[in-house]
Amino acid sequence: MHLTKVLELFPDRSVTQMLFKEVKNAAELRQSAVEGEISGALINPAMLVDPFQVLIAANKAVHLQTIGKMKTRSLYSEIIFNLSPTNKISEAFKRFGISDGDDVVMVVVVHNKDDLQHLSDITTRVDGRQIPVEDVSSLSDIEKIKKLYKITPQEEKCGSLLDAVVCRMATKDVM
Amino acid sequence: MALPDFLSKDKLIKQGAEARVYRAEFLGKPAIVKERFPKRYRHPALDEKLTHRRTTQEVRSILRCRKAGISVPVVYFVDYTSHCIFLEEITGSLTVSDYIASIQQCKEQELLRLAEQVGQILAKMHDEDVIHGDLTTSNMLLRCSTVDIHQTDLVLIDFGLSYISALPEDKGVDLYVLEKAFLSTHPNTEVLFRKLLEGYAASSKKSPAVIKKLDEVRLRGRKRSMVG
Repeated sequence: MHLTKVLELFPDRSVTQMLFKEVKNAAELRQSAVEGEISGALINPAMLVDPFQVLIAANKAVHLQTIGKMKTRSLYSEIIFNLSPTNKISEAFKRFGISDGDDVVMVVVVHNKDDLQHLSDITTRVDGRQIPVEDVSSLSDIEKIKKLYKITPQEEKCGSLLDAVVCRMATKDVM
Repeated sequence: MALPDFLSKDKLIKQGAEARVYRAEFLGKPAIVKERFPKRYRHPALDEKLTHRRTTQEVRSILRCRKAGISVPVVYFVDYTSHCIFLEEITGSLTVSDYIASIQQCKEQELLRLAEQVGQILAKMHDEDVIHGDLTTSNMLLRCSTVDIHQTDLVLIDFGLSYISALPEDKGVDLYVLEKAFLSTHPNTEVLFRKLLEGYAASSKKSPAVIKKLDEVRLRGRKRSMVG
C-alpha cells in the first residue's frame, strides 16, 4: 500500500508515502499537524501528478535541513513548500496542504530506515481507507496543476507533465 | 551526506576542465550528475562566485528551453553547496556525432533531414535568446520520440557555457562555433551544414540578421576586432 524509498544522498533517511481516501477527520488531522503532534506532511493529492514529485520535494527538504538552509520552520512544512512553484509560503500551504473538508490525503513521513512505529502511529490517527500510493495519479486535477505551474502546451510536446512539474520545483530558487 | 561517497569513482563517465559527469541512480531513476569541482588555480572567493553563477545559469537556460518546447534533460535537483546538478539521463540515445559517423555515405537523405531538424531547433532556441555557447554534434542526442515511436527527438545537452542574449552577434558566433566543430568532426559535409543553415533560416524570423553576422564572423573569427 505505502511506498518507501531510501534517499540515495542520505542513506539513513527514508521517505514513506501513504494515501488515504474517504477520510472523515481531515480537520482534526490538519490541526494536529499544525500543532506538531503529527510528524508528517499532509498533502492534497489533487496537486500531485506522481509519487516521484513528492520524492523530489522530500529530498530537497532533507538536503536543506542538513545544510541549515530551510525556508520554513520544519522539515514537513518544507516538503509542502518545495512542491510549490512559487516562493510564497502561505500560498504553498493553501494549494498543497489539506483543507478541513478534504476526504483524500497523502501523508508523507521522513524516518530512519527501520522506524516503523512512527508510521503506524500516523496510520491509526487517520480515519479513512488506505489505498495504493500509485493511485495518486487518478486523483490529480490535471487542469489545476497545469495552471498553477504555468505549463504551456508547447512544453508538453517535449516531455510529460511530471517532467515539467519536477523541473519547476527543482529550479524555483533561481528563477 | 558525504557527496563524494555517493559519487564514487566507478560511476564517473567524463571528466572535463570545468566539471565531472557521473552516472547514478537518483530517487529510483537513472540520472546524470554534473559536479563543478573547485578549481585550485583560482582565488577561492572568485572560484565560488564563478562556479555558482555557471551552475545557476545552466539551470536557467535548461528551464527556458523546456518552456519553449525544446527537448533538454529534466532537472531533478540542484545542490548549490557542492555545485552539483542532477539531471534526467537520456537513456537509449545516440549522439548526433556518432550517428553521422555511422551512416555517412549510404543514407544521404536521412542525414539531410536531420541537419534540417537541427537547424530548426537551434533557430527555436535562439528565438528564446538562449545562446548555447558550446554547440557541437556531441552535445546533441537522438532518442526515440516519447510521443511517436517512428520519430526521433533531438535533445540538446550541456548548457554549461550558455547565457541569455538577444544580440545577432552572439547567435552568429554560436553558429560559427558549431560550423567549425561540425566541419572538423565530419569532413566533407559542407552540404549537410548548408542544409542545417537553410533549416535555421526558414524557421526563424530573426534569422537574416544572424546569418549576416555569421558571414561577418567567418571573415574575422570568433573574437571581435578591438581596433579603433
